[in-house]
Amino acid sequence: MEFKDYYKILDVEADAEKADIKSAYRKLARKYHPDLNPDKEAENKFKEVAEAWEVLGNDSRRAEYDELRRYGGARPGGGFEPPPGWQSHTGGKEQQFSGDFSDFFNDLFGGGFRSGAQDSHGFGGGMGDGMRGGMRGQDVEIEMPVFLEDTLKDQKKPVSYELPAIENGQRVSKRKSLKVTIPAGVTEGERIRVRGQGTPGTGNATAGDLYLHIRLVPHPMFDVQGHNLSVVVPIAPWEAALGAKINVPTLEGDIALSIRPGSQSGQKLRVKGKGLTSKQGRGDLYAILKVVMPDKKDEDINRLWKELSDKAAFDPRSQWRKDK
Amino acid sequence: MSISILRISVRELCEQESITIEQIHSLVEHDIARPHSGKTQQDWEFDTTAASWIRKALRLRQDLELDWIATAMLIDLLRQRDQLETENQSLRQQLERFLQDD
Repeated sequence: MEFKDYYKILDVEADAEKADIKSAYRKLARKYHPDLNPDKEAENKFKEVAEAWEVLGNDSRRAEYDELRRYGGARPGGGFEPPPGWQSHTGGKEQQFSGDFSDFFNDLFGGGFRSGAQDSHGFGGGMGDGMRGGMRGQDVEIEMPVFLEDTLKDQKKPVSYELPAIENGQRVSKRKSLKVTIPAGVTEGERIRVRGQGTPGTGNATAGDLYLHIRLVPHPMFDVQGHNLSVVVPIAPWEAALGAKINVPTLEGDIALSIRPGSQSGQKLRVKGKGLTSKQGRGDLYAILKVVMPDKKDEDINRLWKELSDKAAFDPRSQWRKDK
Repeated sequence: MSISILRISVRELCEQESITIEQIHSLVEHDIARPHSGKTQQDWEFDTTAASWIRKALRLRQDLELDWIATAMLIDLLRQRDQLETENQSLRQQLERFLQDD
């Protein structure tokens, strides 16, 4: 077993005052808290910091830890074994802690891993069903990529994820696969609950739930703004000038769209009811016009452009001079 | 086949998070979460996204030793950050489609 130097983890001296330890913990907790820092490494770092605080923030636990540290914690490069017959007076095998702690911590101070806060009360002051005959399993949250097309109707989707389990006294991961229904109208960031598909409970307690965190897969053509969609529609300069009827893609196939004569690049055309599904109905699709010059350049075409330039006598930057 | 659920009752939430209905009341009072339905506290139902913010608020409150006002402000800022990130990503993508490299 590897010895954990909690003082080093919190970056404080071994004789630091409790107030300094608390301040160091708060600083690092703010930096690495997984709800504030999305980096995967931050979560592991936060667990280390929280474990260090659980020990050093408690006077009697800190005293025991210091004793062990003097006994053999500073052994260079070697593993760590507690002294023969050593037993914590502050922990004990029955104690549970509200954290996902290392084997080092669990071996020294007893306890288990997080499965909801154990020191609070349940609904109306009583314990929930899951708390009576054991401990309710942990909820599990996984990301669920969903294509925009799949948000229009209820969709059955296969889901595969890892669940922690204990086998022969060892912590292992077990893969679980199931099919879930993704309801129509789901949005980016939304959570869907699948009851009882999280970590199994202990004893007679219920399993945790599975939460699917919806992530809309970026579409090659459409962008999402709330329940509306937008699509950039390339048009030729003469289509912008003279108007045209063109085909525009939607999530459910092409539709015909009329471009008015004299349309501008960047102009938005609203197509009602062709956006995403929502509780309030369908959103809209906005076609954003983008005037594109033809690739082909030859003498005839250049001559026509020159003729147009002479006849139109148009200065698109005239506004600049007016502003000066 | 597993059935997906979009709501969680206040009772289930209290059981799962081992919290009291008074704590849920504080979360609602500080606008950290809004019940989706239910006339009385006992009948409140939350959508599962709100439940996820409730969990986040409870974790932050405990781990960073915050009071309710600080927790509410932090959750509000985190929500705004999420929203701005999504909006920024969408606008950036739209701009890339509109601009063309030589």
